Amino acid sequence: MKNLLAWLLWLWMSAVIVAAFLWAPLAKGFIGQSSRILFFHVPMAWVSFVGFIAAAVWSARYLFGGRDPRHDRAAAVAIELGLLFGVLATITGALWARIMWGAYWNWDPRQTSILISLLFYGAYLALRSGIDDQDTRGRLSAAYALLGMAVTPFLFWIVPRITYSLHPDPVVNTQGKVNMESRMQIVLYASVAGFTALFFWIHNLQCRLQAHSERKSAPLE
Amino acid sequence: MVNGGIGWVVAVNLIIWTGLFLYLLRLGKRLRSLEREP
Repeated sequence: MKNLLAWLLWLWMSAVIVAAFLWAPLAKGFIGQSSRILFFHVPMAWVSFVGFIAAAVWSARYLFGGRDPRHDRAAAVAIELGLLFGVLATITGALWARIMWGAYWNWDPRQTSILISLLFYGAYLALRSGIDDQDTRGRLSAAYALLGMAVTPFLFWIVPRITYSLHPDPVVNTQGKVNMESRMQIVLYASVAGFTALFFWIHNLQCRLQAHSERKSAPLE
Repeated sequence: MVNGGIGWVVAVNLIIWTGLFLYLLRLGKRLRSLEREP
C-alpha cells in the first residue's frame, strides 16, 4: 500500500514536470521561459513554510504533551527539511532574479525575509548541537521553534505584502485574488500538493532513520 | 524540437526526479528491514 502511494506520487510529480514545461502557457511580461520556474520555486517556498509550522506544532506537542522524544525528533527533522527547501527556493529565486532583474541578489523584501528565516532556523540547529543533555535540548529547542510560529508567518506572508517589492504579485494577491491563467493555476496547485507529499515522505524516512541510529548507539542494558 | 527546444529540460528533470524517487523507495525498504531486526 505504501509503495502504491509512493508510485502514485512519482506519477503525479512526473505529470507536473511535463505539464510545467509543455502544457502550461508562459506568463506575460516575463523574459523567455523564465516564468516556468514558478511551478517549482513557489512549492519549495511553501514546503519550507510547512516545515517550520509543522515543527512548531510538534514542539508544542513535545512541551505540553508528555515530553515524547519522538515529537522533539519530528520537530528537528521538519526544520532541517524546511531549511533544505528554503535554500532551494532561494537558489531558484536567485536564478530567476538574474534573468529578470539582472542580478542574483537584490535585497528585495522577499529575498531578505527568506534569508532572515533561514538564519533564524539555522540558529535553531546551532542551539540543538550546542546542548548535550537530551531533556534540556528538547525543551529549549521546542521553545525556540514555538517562537518561530510568530516569526515565520510574519516573514513569509506579511513582510512581502506591506513593503514595496520588485517580486511578482503573490499567488493570492493583496486584493485576495488570483491573477493567473487557469492552466498555470492547475499545474501550480498540483505541484504544491506533490511537493507537500514529498516533504512528509522524506520527513517520515528521516525520523525513522534517526530513531534507528539512536537505538543502535544507545548503551546496551 | 519540442516547445521551443525545452524537451531536454523535461528529460533532465524527469531523470533527476526518478533518481530521487528510487533512492527514497530503496531507503524505505532498507529501513523496514532494519526495523524488523531485533
